[in-house]
Amino acid sequence: MKKQNTQKKYVPELSQKEIDELSNSIKTSSQKIVAETIKRMKESDKNRPKTMKYFDEMADLFGKREKEIIEAKKSGKKIIGYLCLFAPIELILAADAIPVRINSGWYDATKIGDRVVPVEVCPVIRSTIGAKMVSLSPFLENSDAIISVLTCDAMTKLGEILTDYTPIWQMTIPRIKDSDQALRLWIEEIKSIKKEIEKLTGNKITRKKLRRAIELTQKATKAFRRLQQLRKGNPVIMGRDAMLAIQTYIWDDVERWTKNTNKLCDELEKRVKNKDWSVPPDTPRVLITGTPMFWPDNWKVPSLVEEANPKGVILADEICSSERILNDPVGVDEWSMNDMLNAIGERYLMASTCACFSSTDGNEDRINWLITKIKDHKIDGVIYYVVRGCMLYAMEYTRVKKVLDQLNIPVYYLDTEYTREDVGQMKTRVEAFLEMLTARIDF
Amino acid sequence: MSETKNKDSTEFWRWQEYQRVIKEKTWKDKDIITAGVDVGSVGSKATILINGEIYSWGIMRTGSNSPESAIKVLDFAMKGTDLCLDDLKYVVGTGYGRVNVPMANKAITEIACHAKGANYIWGSKVRTVLDVGGQDIKAIHCDETGRVTSFLMNDKCAAGTGRGMEIFADLLQIPIEKIGEVSLNVDKEPPPVSCTCVAFAKTEAVGLLRKGWSKEMVLAAYTRAMAIRMSNLVNRVGLEKEFVITGGQSKNAGIVKRIENVLNVETLPSPNWETGGLDPMIAGAIGAALFAKALYLKNQKN
Repeated sequence: MKKQNTQKKYVPELSQKEIDELSNSIKTSSQKIVAETIKRMKESDKNRPKTMKYFDEMADLFGKREKEIIEAKKSGKKIIGYLCLFAPIELILAADAIPVRINSGWYDATKIGDRVVPVEVCPVIRSTIGAKMVSLSPFLENSDAIISVLTCDAMTKLGEILTDYTPIWQMTIPRIKDSDQALRLWIEEIKSIKKEIEKLTGNKITRKKLRRAIELTQKATKAFRRLQQLRKGNPVIMGRDAMLAIQTYIWDDVERWTKNTNKLCDELEKRVKNKDWSVPPDTPRVLITGTPMFWPDNWKVPSLVEEANPKGVILADEICSSERILNDPVGVDEWSMNDMLNAIGERYLMASTCACFSSTDGNEDRINWLITKIKDHKIDGVIYYVVRGCMLYAMEYTRVKKVLDQLNIPVYYLDTEYTREDVGQMKTRVEAFLEMLTARIDF
Repeated sequence: MSETKNKDSTEFWRWQEYQRVIKEKTWKDKDIITAGVDVGSVGSKATILINGEIYSWGIMRTGSNSPESAIKVLDFAMKGTDLCLDDLKYVVGTGYGRVNVPMANKAITEIACHAKGANYIWGSKVRTVLDVGGQDIKAIHCDETGRVTSFLMNDKCAAGTGRGMEIFADLLQIPIEKIGEVSLNVDKEPPPVSCTCVAFAKTEAVGLLRKGWSKEMVLAAYTRAMAIRMSNLVNRVGLEKEFVITGGQSKNAGIVKRIENVLNVETLPSPNWETGGLDPMIAGAIGAALFAKALYLKNQKN
């Protein structure tokens, strides 16, 4: 009888021995990669901001933050994982729980996920399944519940597969966002998630608490925007440093992250004053768009761009593992419960530029974002990054290229997998693209 | 001309290594002598330019060690010229092994170099270059100065590349240099093999041979599939005339004819290297040597 209850719907049973072996070997190789990546980040910018030290520490997924989360859990706090940026983290914070995003960036975990789903599936998904199968991610392991938003097809099934392990709260996102009924449905979803969070944590989300949580993330967005403002002029920070700092937000303590990001900005402002640039101001300026890139292993593309010969520097991006995390604040008029929930609903639905939506204008929100960033950050060229299996971003490329061609902004489609094997070939592609941008500036 | 090939070789994949010096040219100490070394995945090429004009070149197989291949092929190109390494004012490395060219002053990707080299070989009217190398295929669009304006590269799969052709030469026991001609020796063009992956295409080819297909027919079916794949890449980058093909496969008439057929366009004819013309296989090395000259002059100014 009991056996029937625990029978898994998707994943095969692994012995504890196998789980430990696989998880240890991936963890060991990944920590090597993290150390190597950070070392190279330091080497490529001799003058790397000192305040990056904090984010380097946060980047160790098996370090300080893991301990804090385990401690918090022991003291009775709940950890709520989420798979897409659409999860309203203000509600989690208001219930005194800890939000952590749990998409996997481990290359080797995809091979384990391959036992459950075919290789044609997006590697972000396969890797997350694999990470869960061998209990690899401290954040995923400690999640008491996971919010799964039904965005792309692969995400839709990922949540279902993870029900084999953890309580999953599914949220339906309308695939058309600019209609009244879409927003109404979404706000209903937000309200029902609020109930789930309250039930799990035993904490009521009061008006006061929610307001405090919203103000907390608003401050984080403010710090983020300050950082982005600094990336509009001559480069004072390498793109992959900025991207790492931004990404740690998805597992760090929000208040502490904000404080440290402001410290980073203080240091960068001094550098602007002293004209202390990270790279020569005529270095080609790159924007990255497309599929998300997750720490720790999948830092391949930012590294290739900023270690290339000729070198490029990333000044902006439009990916949901970086700038999109923090670009838009929740905008509240009246601090009533109803207004706050509506504002949260609007912020998560309307401000998103995700390719999972369909619109008759051809995702104009994303196009406008790209055009604005290209102008503001004086971008020379765009890298359109897609992992194989990421259907929606692959399809929208045609649209984005058409628009960028009209603006005379070169765009390069860089497709890859969760693997290190293709780095040599990708290096040629990235370098040829940067040579092309350099030639436009220089020869 | 020096050659290295055993006439009765049973290594059907083995193509000819050779070296050439333009005899009527001479050099003086004050000349700007530059070199381009293109270490590809299958072939290594080196070119020497005197004041931006071609003087000598060498082509040989890339060994397992990139730095060694680079040294060997550059020595090969300088054979019988009285030149030595010290006479070279500037060297640019390119190709897959570009970072492992020990004597290079700078590395530049083969994409920029092939566009530049094609511009040198065929002139400023070239707009689209298809480089079919040993392990990858690149479709490049360039302007009248040979500067890259956009490009596409195949993924890590070797289908349609020189390496794939070598495997077929071995399978069908036809010398690699004859493979193009043989593939054209069919009354009617057969449908292309359905799978472009080299490993699967080989299995499919064995099946066709068993069904009683002639070698020519099988080769035609494979070559056609590869030509379609390459044409798709060209179409995606945007085909604009004039169109040329560089790299080892530019010598494969079966590929060239079929690409022209699929794209409904004529390529600019390749110079015939056997009768003293330039070799489209060294386009990348020529481009690298031209960049070397430009960079040398730029450094002199600063």
